[in-house]
Amino acid sequence: MSDGRDRPTGGAGSSSEPAASLVPADDRPRGWLQRRSAPPALFSLIGVAVLTVVWFATLNRIDVERSNARAAAVAATRDNLNTYEAQVVRVVREIDRTLKSVQYAYRLRGSGNAALRDLRARGLLPPSLVFTVSVTGPDGTVTASDVGGGPASLADDEVFRAARAADTLAVGRSVRREGAGEWRLRFARRLTATDGSYGGVAVVGVDASFFVSGYDTTAVGQHGLLGVLGSDGDFRVLRTGDRVSAGEHVDFASIVPEGETGEAEVRLSGEAPDGVPRFTSARDLYGLPLAVVVGLSEEERMAPAASLARLYRWRAAGVSLLLVFVLAVVGRLNWKIVRLRERESEVRIAYGRRVEHLAYHDGLTGLPNRSLLSRLVERHVSEARRYGRRLAVLFLDLDRFKEVNDSLGHEAGDQLLREVAERLEGTLRESDTVARMGGDEFVILLPELKDAGQAATVARKVLDALSEPVDILGQEFQVTASIGVSVYPGDGEDEQALLKNADIAMYQAKDAGKNDIRFYSDAMTSHTRERLALEASLRQALVKQEFELHYQVRRDVRTSRITGMEALLRWRHPELGMVEPMKFIPLAEETGLMVPIGRWVLATACRQSVAWVEEGLPRLAMAINLGARQFFDEGLVHAVRDTLVATGMAPELLELEVCESVLTRDADRTLSILRALKEVGVKITIDNFGTGYSTLAVLRQIPADMVKIDRTFIRAAGSDRVEREVTDAIVAMGRSLGTSLVAQGVETRDQADYVREHACNAVQGFFFNRPVPADELAALLRAEVTGPPPAEYSPRG
Amino acid sequence: MLLLAPTLMPGPAAAPSGAPPPDSLVVVVSADNPLIRMDRLRLQDLYLGRTSRFADGRQAEPIDQAPGSPDRATFYATYLGRTLAEVKAHWSRIIFTGRGEPPREVPDGVALRKLVAGTPGAIGYLERRQLDVSVHAVEIR
Repeated sequence: MSDGRDRPTGGAGSSSEPAASLVPADDRPRGWLQRRSAPPALFSLIGVAVLTVVWFATLNRIDVERSNARAAAVAATRDNLNTYEAQVVRVVREIDRTLKSVQYAYRLRGSGNAALRDLRARGLLPPSLVFTVSVTGPDGTVTASDVGGGPASLADDEVFRAARAADTLAVGRSVRREGAGEWRLRFARRLTATDGSYGGVAVVGVDASFFVSGYDTTAVGQHGLLGVLGSDGDFRVLRTGDRVSAGEHVDFASIVPEGETGEAEVRLSGEAPDGVPRFTSARDLYGLPLAVVVGLSEEERMAPAASLARLYRWRAAGVSLLLVFVLAVVGRLNWKIVRLRERESEVRIAYGRRVEHLAYHDGLTGLPNRSLLSRLVERHVSEARRYGRRLAVLFLDLDRFKEVNDSLGHEAGDQLLREVAERLEGTLRESDTVARMGGDEFVILLPELKDAGQAATVARKVLDALSEPVDILGQEFQVTASIGVSVYPGDGEDEQALLKNADIAMYQAKDAGKNDIRFYSDAMTSHTRERLALEASLRQALVKQEFELHYQVRRDVRTSRITGMEALLRWRHPELGMVEPMKFIPLAEETGLMVPIGRWVLATACRQSVAWVEEGLPRLAMAINLGARQFFDEGLVHAVRDTLVATGMAPELLELEVCESVLTRDADRTLSILRALKEVGVKITIDNFGTGYSTLAVLRQIPADMVKIDRTFIRAAGSDRVEREVTDAIVAMGRSLGTSLVAQGVETRDQADYVREHACNAVQGFFFNRPVPADELAALLRAEVTGPPPAEYSPRG
Repeated sequence: MLLLAPTLMPGPAAAPSGAPPPDSLVVVVSADNPLIRMDRLRLQDLYLGRTSRFADGRQAEPIDQAPGSPDRATFYATYLGRTLAEVKAHWSRIIFTGRGEPPREVPDGVALRKLVAGTPGAIGYLERRQLDVSVHAVEIR
């Protein structure tokens, strides 16, 4: 998981992420799962490669088949030529022997007829079925013939002249015999009489087609060629396929290779009269003015190879199609898989991001949370250490946020926090980080700091930004904050120290009057230490029974008689002595300690009240205060009921005082709690009346038995006219609720007079009685029972 | 018995179906030759050079009449179902390739009778009227 995705800074917004990401990034090398699917281009590549191989192999094989067939055709042509040569040579030699036999017999007998008769009788003449043997006189007139029907004279025949000229084998041209369809080819030799004189010629005639009668389709095919060519370039006979002809003239030298003894040369030629291309070969016949020509049809010879080639091409085409199809199918499947995986990993990444975001960000504001901030500070501290830089941690706490929360409800509080978060982000640079630590605490990290003054500048900018009024639920609020600053390395060496010290500095700012900035310094810590110590001992106070109750009486405005009292909590700290309620009650409320302490107050006040009544003192109302936490505590009604039962306290004597701001916070819950309390039988007092900014409509719903006007209005009553008018209005409002009114905090005669004039029902304050411990109050009560009521209001004790 | 044979022959000799008039041509062998009948196929083979023996294995020698003889054409047409041109082409091929010799030729039926009579394995054909005791007809089936 270490991919070096560390950014130099976290960034000011929710985009900040922890150093070690939980989620694979997009640019991360793909895992083996991803690699198992191939990129689509690969399929085209494989396709092209396989097709190339298939077609290369096919064409190669076709080529091989072709050249094999060609080689076979060449060999067959040679074989045929050799065979044909042997046959023609044998036949021509036999014909020559016959002619020589006739020469001999003629010389012996002196007559052609006698000679032929002798030869025939001895079986020395060739079969008359094919051959005709005849003898001419010196002038060419036929004098004797083996079989009849031949021409009467051969005087004009070329063969006659050739034979007469020299005693060699004369070979005539093929001549068409009149009437018959056949070509007649004649061979002749000169005859010498017994006396040595020229006697004529012996002639052997044969149908020229005899020389191609050996044409065998199994050897030379349907379109083969056999031919006997004279050295004069005239074909004596030529058979191409079924057609027999003679007389065609060709260039002998170009067809018949000269003096060839080895293997016959085979050419591919289309020069035959029928134009059929053939593997052709020719050979000169030794000692004869003749050559043989053999040809094998190229088409016939190559037909098997051609059909094989066709077959291979079809096969390759089929394979290609199949391959393309398969690749297309596989490719499409692969594409789908790739898409699926992409989507899967997108979802996974998105999910991971979400989880990560949730883990490292505050749900309400979207800012980095405490754990992310810790990591960021840690990282930046180590960087600052490495590079010798400074950084600052600003701890920010909203002033009086609790009050907003208490008076307007959680939703308003949340809205305020969001607004604050936005403003903080807007104020800071990209490289800075703002995080929400929980509640109304924010921490700003300035990772690159030139000097401490820069941190102060930022802090001031933040306060300025917050000072703009905030609109919450249609009401404008002025938000202030206290900021504590710690700077690395001076104010702490690590993340914990820096955060703690910034926090301490923040408390300093708060204690110094809020809306302020404090830098951490050792000198400044004492006060905060005191506060922390106070919190620690507050937790112990209940166990150590350091709390006690003081009681302040309430008098009827007219008779000045004591009508009730309010129990007030006091803390007698073993070292600090009596701790001011203002010092520890907010702390107790903040830490939640107020709930158990409140129970203790309730129980103690009830027990005291019962004790006094049993002692014979008057039954007087006993008021105790309920804080917000205690009021909304689910166990409240039970606790009250149980306490009443346990102590034997009369419910109607118990008055529960709740701040107006608490009562109007959540109307539904408040009303159900109040109704339950009324059922128990206790009385409800609206405390600090006038400070909650509540409307009459809301207040009227509250089943209050008494309204206590806040001391600030009573105090104002003694001053100038304008402020008194406000007090008038508040008192009028209280009266309109139809409950009894109590004026709180009456400290001067003016105030007492005002209260009397405005017909409050009761008064309470230092002017009449200051809060006193239980025994003092008991004495006061006893005096009241025995003595007459004071004629005039006068401060006592 | 041998003498009787020719006189007994006329009937059977006329038997071949689709043959020309029964009296025209008969196939003959020497009177000494015990052959009485033979297959038409063997006769064909003998005259086309495909065999040189009788069915019993004795050497046979077919004799032809001269190419101009009308009996020759009749014989090939009747017994071999071939024209003379076909026969010539057949023998041309055999002669050219050196695989055989055509039958010996004699000028006419009389010469043939004489030759057959004097040659033990000879076989030939002639007109019925040319028969005499020196030869006897062979029944061709």
